Amino acid sequence: MRRVGELIGALLKNPTTVAGLTFIILLLGMAILAPLLTEPNTPDAYQMPRDWGAIAVPPGSPGHILGTTNVGGDVLYGVIWGARTSLRLSVIVVSLTVVVGVTVGSIAGFRGGRIDEILMRIVDVFLSIPELIFALAIAAVLGPSFRNIILALAVVFWVKYARIMRAQIIHVKENEYVDAARVIGDSPWRIYLKDVLPNSITPVVVQATLDMGNIVLVGATLSFIGLSEAGIAEWGVLVSEGQAGISAGRWWASTFPGLMVFLWALGFNLFGDGLRDILDPRTESSR
Amino acid sequence: MTLVGSDGPAPPALAPAPVASVVDLRVHFRSKAGIVHAVDGVSFDIADGETLGLVGETGCGKSVTARSFLRLVPMPPGIQAGGSILFRPHRTCETCSGNGCAVCHESGRVPDACATCEGAGCETCAGSGYLTVDLLEIPEQDLRTIRGNRIAMIFQDPGKALNPALSIRDQLAEVFYQHRSAELLAAAAIDGEAGGPAGTLIRRKAALRSRLLEDALLSLPPLRARRNKLRAAADDRIVAALAETQIPNPRKVMDRYPHELSGGMRQRVMIAQALACDPDLLIADEPTTALDVTVQARILELVRELQSRHRTSVLYISHDLSLVRRVCDRVAVMYAGRIAEVAPAEQIFSDPSHPYTRGLLAAIPATSHERGRLVAISGTVPELINPTPACRFAGRCPFEAPVCRALEPEPKPTRDGHQVACFIHHPPRDAADGVPTFDRQVR
Repeated sequence: MRRVGELIGALLKNPTTVAGLTFIILLLGMAILAPLLTEPNTPDAYQMPRDWGAIAVPPGSPGHILGTTNVGGDVLYGVIWGARTSLRLSVIVVSLTVVVGVTVGSIAGFRGGRIDEILMRIVDVFLSIPELIFALAIAAVLGPSFRNIILALAVVFWVKYARIMRAQIIHVKENEYVDAARVIGDSPWRIYLKDVLPNSITPVVVQATLDMGNIVLVGATLSFIGLSEAGIAEWGVLVSEGQAGISAGRWWASTFPGLMVFLWALGFNLFGDGLRDILDPRTESSR
Repeated sequence: MTLVGSDGPAPPALAPAPVASVVDLRVHFRSKAGIVHAVDGVSFDIADGETLGLVGETGCGKSVTARSFLRLVPMPPGIQAGGSILFRPHRTCETCSGNGCAVCHESGRVPDACATCEGAGCETCAGSGYLTVDLLEIPEQDLRTIRGNRIAMIFQDPGKALNPALSIRDQLAEVFYQHRSAELLAAAAIDGEAGGPAGTLIRRKAALRSRLLEDALLSLPPLRARRNKLRAAADDRIVAALAETQIPNPRKVMDRYPHELSGGMRQRVMIAQALACDPDLLIADEPTTALDVTVQARILELVRELQSRHRTSVLYISHDLSLVRRVCDRVAVMYAGRIAEVAPAEQIFSDPSHPYTRGLLAAIPATSHERGRLVAISGTVPELINPTPACRFAGRCPFEAPVCRALEPEPKPTRDGHQVACFIHHPPRDAADGVPTFDRQVR
């Protein structure tokens, strides 16, 4: 696509997206380079290493730059591998939900009629329950594990994409170029792939970017409550572990992972907002 | 079913058949207030090679009629309430290879022979001996082989009719891949019959059937060369099509996107796309309305020139009478879902027969006349919801008689070759029941 170059140019000119991108790159860099930054724990690198000889030591202690939790977990390790966990969580959930949501929304919008009615009523049911509560309920029913959190979030988050996609398609398929494509003999599937999908996917991309942040936020919340397995290197779990110590002045075990969640969500939200401003059809004509 | 270039026996030199005949077309729309009879019993012929203007005010059903040719009217809310659109696909005359001879009545094109009776005349072809398809009846699959291939359409606003996400090359390539994949393969010197997975793959690519994975395979070295040859063959055709519409520098324009082109250029691209497969019938739905007046003139000239070169028949939809006069051979005037009058273009202006046509002409401002008040037709267009059998123009017509509210006039030929649906010209046969007879001279 020729517009990719233009898009990158616009993204780099916008201070919001540059700030968001900076956070994202830092955090992603951390996630990708995790095995190089810290010695991976064995046998499972996603499990926190426990140093029972250094419980709740403050930041700056030898061997534990950011201190440890009151069960001897190294905060730095949790922060770094937590980024990897978050990346795993958000990528899996976003790709699952985008695929399901776009498919459902496309069928509803492109076909219309009764299928549309049925699918959208199902979506309405999902949307009527608040995101966090719904995810909480599902995760709680399935039992505490990280995989169940992924599942719960996927179940909750796909409906937004279905909604967005359907609305976009209904709008786009009214365009005359869709009629023009029929006039040259294109099949409905061809028209969908060539004319409808490329012209309606932009808001989905924006929403996916925003959700990369939101999902980590909600995921950390679920972990914090205790719906993740204990001992996993995850920011929410870490905050939860450090929570008891806050009143005793041991702030570090909660603050550093909390800050990470904040930066992650902030980064993707800034970037997503900027992306929306750039891609918004209303502002497109001014280019 | 193959409609293109079927190798049937040469058809006998029958009388030239109209390329398309609309017979009693009825398209209705469901609405909250009732059923809207948007098109209600419209019939007309489009002769081979002629330009027929379809004129009328907004909402008279001219666009619905035109869109019915390619079944573009959304159903629902639209209802196909009856009628048929008979279409006769043509091919280049073999006797003169398109130069015009006695066999093809100097048109260079001959209609395909009827598959059932091989030209003898039977029921399926309405006795004409020519392959005749009812566009409203044939399966969607078959209609797709006609769309863009035998019947093409250009739209009002070229800015909206081109996909903003595709380059001009991709928009045009679509038509060739869709309808001319065999020719593309031949031009690229690829054996279209080649067996094996490689042959299948490239054939599928040429016919737009390849999927993501197959495209990926085709972009890898062993098959890449063949794919590129196919692309080059398509590019050559695209350049030729663009050049024909007088687009300067087609090789460069090809890589542009619609928003980078001017309105006139976009309409040229649309025309290039429409004429790419050398269709028998071109439907032009107000193709110049969205353009500047100066560009309008040039586009009109282009359409006329290409039409005479390709000998394509054109159905030209417009609400602009003076424009239709310049472009069309014959004009059909529509009013409230029915045909009011059909006549040769010049005669419509010099000698309008239907009171509505007269009213329309009186409402055109002309510089040649003295300054004076423009005459407007009094009243408003009737509601088209569940109409009663009556002349649609009754109530606005200065010559209205009781019969106009009791019966519906049918278009019938008059002495001077017009088809007119008006009791002034065709007084009802039975004058005994007190229905007054009209005087032709009433003005």
